[in-house]
Amino acid sequence: MLSLRIALRFLRKSPVQSIFIAAGIAVGLGVQVFVGSLIISLQQTLVNETIGSSPQVWVTSPEQGKPVTYTTALRDALQGQSEIDTIAPALEYSAIFRQGTETAPLGFTGGTLKALDSVYDLTGKTVDGSASLGPDDVIVGKEFAETYGLKPGDQATFVLPDGTEARLTISAVVDLGSAAANKASAFVGEEQARGVLGYAADQYSSIDTQLSDVFASKTVAQTLAQQPALEGYKVTEWQSQNTDLLDALSAQSSSSYMIQFFVLVAVALGIASTLAISAVQKTRQIGILKAMGMQDGHAGRVFLWQAAILGLVGAAIGIGAGVGLIALFNAVGSDASFPIKPQLGFTAISFVVGVLVALASSIIPWRRTSKLDPIEVIQGG
Amino acid sequence: MAERLLVADDLGKTYGTEVKTVALQDVSFTLERGEFASIIGQSGSGKSTLLNLIGLLDTPTTGRVILDGVDTSTADRKGRARLRNRTLGFVFQFHHLLPEFSVLENVLMPGRIGGAAGHGARDHAGEVLHLLGLEGVEDKNANQLSGGQKQRVAIARALLNDPALVLADEPTGNLDTANTAAVYELFRRINRELGTAFLIVTHDRSVAQQTDRILEIRDGRLVQDARNTYLGAEPAEVSRT
Repeated sequence: MLSLRIALRFLRKSPVQSIFIAAGIAVGLGVQVFVGSLIISLQQTLVNETIGSSPQVWVTSPEQGKPVTYTTALRDALQGQSEIDTIAPALEYSAIFRQGTETAPLGFTGGTLKALDSVYDLTGKTVDGSASLGPDDVIVGKEFAETYGLKPGDQATFVLPDGTEARLTISAVVDLGSAAANKASAFVGEEQARGVLGYAADQYSSIDTQLSDVFASKTVAQTLAQQPALEGYKVTEWQSQNTDLLDALSAQSSSSYMIQFFVLVAVALGIASTLAISAVQKTRQIGILKAMGMQDGHAGRVFLWQAAILGLVGAAIGIGAGVGLIALFNAVGSDASFPIKPQLGFTAISFVVGVLVALASSIIPWRRTSKLDPIEVIQGG
Repeated sequence: MAERLLVADDLGKTYGTEVKTVALQDVSFTLERGEFASIIGQSGSGKSTLLNLIGLLDTPTTGRVILDGVDTSTADRKGRARLRNRTLGFVFQFHHLLPEFSVLENVLMPGRIGGAAGHGARDHAGEVLHLLGLEGVEDKNANQLSGGQKQRVAIARALLNDPALVLADEPTGNLDTANTAAVYELFRRINRELGTAFLIVTHDRSVAQQTDRILEIRDGRLVQDARNTYLGAEPAEVSRT
């Protein structure tokens, strides 16, 4: 390991240069880890808030208003999909809220509180009152309640699809994570919903599911559509209904990749130029070592080792700095709408990429050193 | 009969492709083991070029060098580097010590390049440093030494691998008279005690006179090859082709 020993000594003999290179890598990696984690966390929060509390794949009848019969075969087909975490048969209908001369359309979802919690987490998202779904209870969204000055315990009147009116008591106000959902959604008990829809005990408006990986929805939907138990039914998944959100996520990812790419390019150029200068500075030493019989490969490896050491040290410091920045962001910016979670996988990849970039940056000095003829140094004095 | 260590066979070196400069031509001679010889010539005569060819630091345009029985014209860069490490020791006009390393580490370097490590190598380096009167400076940096000491460290480094031949290119060019005399005394002592052959390039005739054999280069040709009583006797003319 003579090459390693010489590389270490060269680095120690030029401490300022070594510190600058390692600091360059550290700053680059720190920015990389922070920006990458920020974007990933932002996307996860966005996805979670937008569709995390909504069905991601759902089965309905192709004809509007017709129920889905939740047979054992259908349940088994859904349970057979390993990506499906939660199955929640739902009862849905539209009704109009009326308050004096004011009206507002609302989408109602019916079911037991336990079943609805598994998808919408109503209990967890309650901001006022206590979530319960008795025969005459209704849970409404935050913006809706604010708009019409409603609070738990108040009675509200709804015009049902058949033209009749129902007076329900608001048991809780929930924040579903989006103003649009909070304005247009309401939840009632199973008994109330069945009464409105006129469905039998095994009939539902849709069978909703949630997935372990929300982005697996396309595959899951395609697989389900081919199952015999789902013949005659329609399978829909969230991505086909949210192209704007997907476009936004894709644009965010692209901009994040661009930033990270250019940060790495800047790091690579910084290391390459400094190592190239170092190789020129050490030409005399390398020439003497070669005159004494050092092989070309061993001489070239001196700069590979230097790059590897600087890459490892710089990347480790950079990862630490990035994680520190994330902690600082989370502590100082605790009012931010989302926390940044350090992304372990992404951080590990960044570390490896940082070291590889450092190694790649040593190619020019490595080649220059390998090809150096000792006579160039000896003749030059 | 003495054993042959080096054969310079019809060596020539031409620089440039369009405008050609002949630095050396038709140089042939042999060197036996344990010889103490010098190459003398004016500045620019080609003596350093010859030393670089013999030292496998440069490749001849014509001819070949046979070193320790190995025809180096067929050796690749790896093979030449290995031969330099095992068979040759170099002492240059400029000491060329590595400033990043201590005196001991500098002396140990040829051994480490050749794969020698551990206490054995350190003990041997200690012996060589003792031989050169360099005890007590092992841990110093080369920059902390005087000019004469630096050159003695460079000599110690050249001797570490027990080379069969030490090539010295104007080894005392940067030293004062006292240090110059000391270095040549040292060369002579090593030659006698260790049997190491020396080939010393110098432009100083008085220095060359201290060696057993003088090879004189003029305009890139070997013009004289004289032994022992060079000053007193008529030098042998080297036939030109």
